[in-house]
Amino acid sequence: MSADVIMVIVVATALAFDFTNGFHDTANVVATSISTRAAKPSTAIAIAALLNFAGAFISISVAATVANDVVDAGVITPTVVFAGLIGAIAWNLITWWFALPSSSSHALIGGVVGSAVIASGFDAVLADGVIGKVLIPAIVAPLLAFAVAGIAIGLVYRIVGRQRPGTVTRGFRYGQLVSGGLLALAHGTNDAQKTMGVITLALIANGSLGADADPPFWVIVSAATAIALGTYSGGWRIIRTTGTRIIKMDAAQGFSAQGAGAAVILSSTHFGFPLSTTHVINGGVMGAGAGKRLSAVRWGVAGNIMVAWLLTLPAAAAIGGATYAVTEIFGSGAVGPVIVSVIALAASAMLFNRRSQQGAPLPAS
Amino acid sequence: MAVIVETSELLQTVAASVVAGVGVTVVFSVAIWGAARFVDLSRSERPAAAAAAAAVGIAGLAATLGAVAVGLVVMVG
Repeated sequence: MSADVIMVIVVATALAFDFTNGFHDTANVVATSISTRAAKPSTAIAIAALLNFAGAFISISVAATVANDVVDAGVITPTVVFAGLIGAIAWNLITWWFALPSSSSHALIGGVVGSAVIASGFDAVLADGVIGKVLIPAIVAPLLAFAVAGIAIGLVYRIVGRQRPGTVTRGFRYGQLVSGGLLALAHGTNDAQKTMGVITLALIANGSLGADADPPFWVIVSAATAIALGTYSGGWRIIRTTGTRIIKMDAAQGFSAQGAGAAVILSSTHFGFPLSTTHVINGGVMGAGAGKRLSAVRWGVAGNIMVAWLLTLPAAAAIGGATYAVTEIFGSGAVGPVIVSVIALAASAMLFNRRSQQGAPLPAS
Repeated sequence: MAVIVETSELLQTVAASVVAGVGVTVVFSVAIWGAARFVDLSRSERPAAAAAAAAVGIAGLAATLGAVAVGLVVMVG
């Protein structure tokens, strides 16, 4: 009975994380389209939500790799997963509060690593996996997207620089509808799978599924729905940062950033070198600005974003570890996760309430 | 480090990203260049040059759509 209660809490928490992943990372997909007026905000977000939902069904090949590559699968219990998810959700909400685009995937990995360390010690961490699958890609992703978008926008200005601005802007706005759609689809394919993987791992750890089981259909549908609903709710604070605060973007820069982002994500998916969509698109936006001129990038804002990226793993790990320690105070039953869930829900409600009282940061256009 | 990071996968990712990202943006720019020139040349009543510009633009658009189709195939695959 206690194990079933924990499983229900883990699944609900995983879907809550998926929802925050959707509204937090919406910025990656729609920010450039909105800021260049390629699409109305409500239209861009509705399309992104739909394509995120569709993307979640395209492939389940990486669904079970989230925790397997970074912590010893033998130490994974539903409570470890629960504490890791709380760490990830908390970091997503903190960075959302400060309007900073950070990687939800890194937050999830950090949270699970932190809770596993408190549960079983540092031996539980697979250092090679953390370096190879998380740290190196975290450096490569923004630099690669920066370079690709920077080179691309330089060539774009050479090709269309002497043409009528109206025709050029309209053309790139149409192009952004396609490049933004590709990004949304790629985001759904990558990120919804991570939640499917986490729920599947918890079900395996609970004995509800066999060791090599694929995610059940209800897991795929619920993860796809949660990320789509999160995307539809829109993360306006982060959309504003990515879309208008890093650079003042024209349509050609928006297309270059999205094109570079889609190319980098799809290439990395094809060659099995997973990269964070957040790092890729924000690196692309910075590159599209720097390709025009270096001073076009607001480096102070870019610096804040990079600090958030550096802090994501350790901060989520600290929160995940602390959450596990708190649940253990109440023993190994369901009491600890229930109490932590109630506290987390109350804290989240307070946070959203305070933000809503301060008004929307992005004017409707 | 070579064991921790699959160097060949990393290099392939970098090469493919540069080729695809820069390539798609450039061919779409060519499509827009073709459209913009077509409008200008048509207004100047130079039909042959306008037709040539339109052909370049259509080729650029076709290359862009082809690249998007490849991207979708990669994603589904």
